[in-house]
Amino acid sequence: MSSRNKLMKHFQLVGQLQPALHAPQHAPYPDTIDHAHYRAYLRSSHDVGGEPDVPITWEEKEEEQWEHNTFVTCECLAWRGVWNAEERRRRQNVDLGQTIYLGLPYYGRWLLTAARILVDKQYITLTELNNKIDEVRKRYE
Amino acid sequence: MSKSHHDRTHHVKKATGKGDPQCFKGEAGPPKFKVGDHVRIKDLPDLFYTRCQVYTRGAPCTVAALVYESPAAEDEAWDNTDKPEWFYSLIFRQKDLWPDYPEAYANDTVETELSERWLEKA
Repeated sequence: MSSRNKLMKHFQLVGQLQPALHAPQHAPYPDTIDHAHYRAYLRSSHDVGGEPDVPITWEEKEEEQWEHNTFVTCECLAWRGVWNAEERRRRQNVDLGQTIYLGLPYYGRWLLTAARILVDKQYITLTELNNKIDEVRKRYE
Repeated sequence: MSKSHHDRTHHVKKATGKGDPQCFKGEAGPPKFKVGDHVRIKDLPDLFYTRCQVYTRGAPCTVAALVYESPAAEDEAWDNTDKPEWFYSLIFRQKDLWPDYPEAYANDTVETELSERWLEKA
């Protein structure tokens, strides 16, 4: 967040991102959640079959370079035993949560997940990762 | 920094030269179902992770093939690989899945793979 102004815009945007129920439902008290809602919230976010949705426009599009790089990085993590394919899928399709599952591009989720597993399994610290992101970002300022 | 206590080698040792799921062949024991059996998908708890589509729960289907032995997705997603199960390819009638499916396409089917824990005799 490079300025307080951007920070305030960030808060407004986050406030607009609703869970898929499309109903205001923030931090309910226990007696206001029934089992149907519990199950709807807890269901795996990649299991969208049967859910009503709007049509998505199909675009014939080549992968971009960063997408290829992301794929290869994730395959190397598997080759080196950091995760198996099912753990990768669990993390990138479900653990990220409904909002990110629907909100980010496919390989964006792969990339976030690759970073996350390196932190979760203590190959790097979050501090090291954030310092590196900060260092790289400064190259573009 | 690298102080990971996670075992990074066991899967590579097991799968190298064989492939996955071939490396689990022979570890699931005798299969409960055979090709042509009529089965139904159980409505098991699915906390945190599953690949059993909710739309299949409670629906009847037919075993099309026994495809391989592998840890179930619910186990493998946390790298628990010591209890492989049989995986079955299953054929559902679309009309059994979707109440409004048009009569004109009554013969339409969909085929998917699930592990044995999800199946019961229809």
